[in-house]
Amino acid sequence: MRWATRAGVHVDRAACAWLIRREVDPGAEFTFVADPADVPADATPFDMRGVELTHHRGDCTFETILRRYELTDPVLWRIAEIVHEADLDDERYDAPEALGLDVVLRGLSMISDDDQVLAIGGPIFDGLYEFFRREMHLGHEPA
Amino acid sequence: MCARYDPAVPATDQPRPPEEWALLSYRLPREPSTPRITVWRKLKRLGVAQLGDGLVALPHDPRTGEQFDWLAEEIVEAGGTAIVWLARPALARAGVDLVELLAAERAAEYRGVVEQARRAADLDPNSRQAAVRRMRGELRRISRRTYFPLPERAAAHAAVTVLAGDDGGEYDEETMA
Repeated sequence: MRWATRAGVHVDRAACAWLIRREVDPGAEFTFVADPADVPADATPFDMRGVELTHHRGDCTFETILRRYELTDPVLWRIAEIVHEADLDDERYDAPEALGLDVVLRGLSMISDDDQVLAIGGPIFDGLYEFFRREMHLGHEPA
Repeated sequence: MCARYDPAVPATDQPRPPEEWALLSYRLPREPSTPRITVWRKLKRLGVAQLGDGLVALPHDPRTGEQFDWLAEEIVEAGGTAIVWLARPALARAGVDLVELLAAERAAEYRGVVEQARRAADLDPNSRQAAVRRMRGELRRISRRTYFPLPERAAAHAAVTVLAGDDGGEYDEETMA
């Protein structure tokens, strides 16, 4: 399936791409558009105004996707807290990792194109997933 | 010391008007009050310039534009109306005045942190460290709504750094000035 989002991906879009590939569409192909009007007819848009998979009721797109596909994995929701704070910075959650992740991805987006950001983002979020999965399993911060 | 735009001073030392402003025009129903309060809080956090009732502005960049987009979405979902505009004032001077207004607001916030650091110098080491932690958080928050260089920013960071490194020695009047 094809998916489309705004060019110049930062943390929310990079996280969503990882989430979509991981949970919704393993064969996902991503297109980046400058204008919502340029979204191809066969692509599902995300993280832009006026579409289903975007910010709603104060949620970032990552959270919207979790709700839409009824993904209840608590590790994904822990990551959602970080992505939310990195994107919206509204202190809804306590996520000190958010600032670091935001800066890292913004820096990456300054020196790489969107496909590269997604390619690098994949392992970053895989690693985050494993970290928080272990933390939840152990009941304390893993080594 | 107030922030006034002076063409003779190097650009890095003073706030300059942006090429474009992002404007958010919005209306929210009076009741319920919760969405209004939520929106107001977010606008304050973003450090917007209040142009009038239901009209706010920020220097435009991809991030500020996006923040207004999501806020507009939230306002519409709460039963209100909102439009995000990209705008230039007809008179360049108006842009300069607006930036000076924002700069003055942020400068006052940074000076507030310097004042807090001054007062915290008299505390015991544990309380001082707790104050440092709190002030660093505040500096981060102020920084995120500062869209231009400001000398007060470095001064505030320096004041907190001095406090953090102070192992109980004499309060240094000169460094804290």
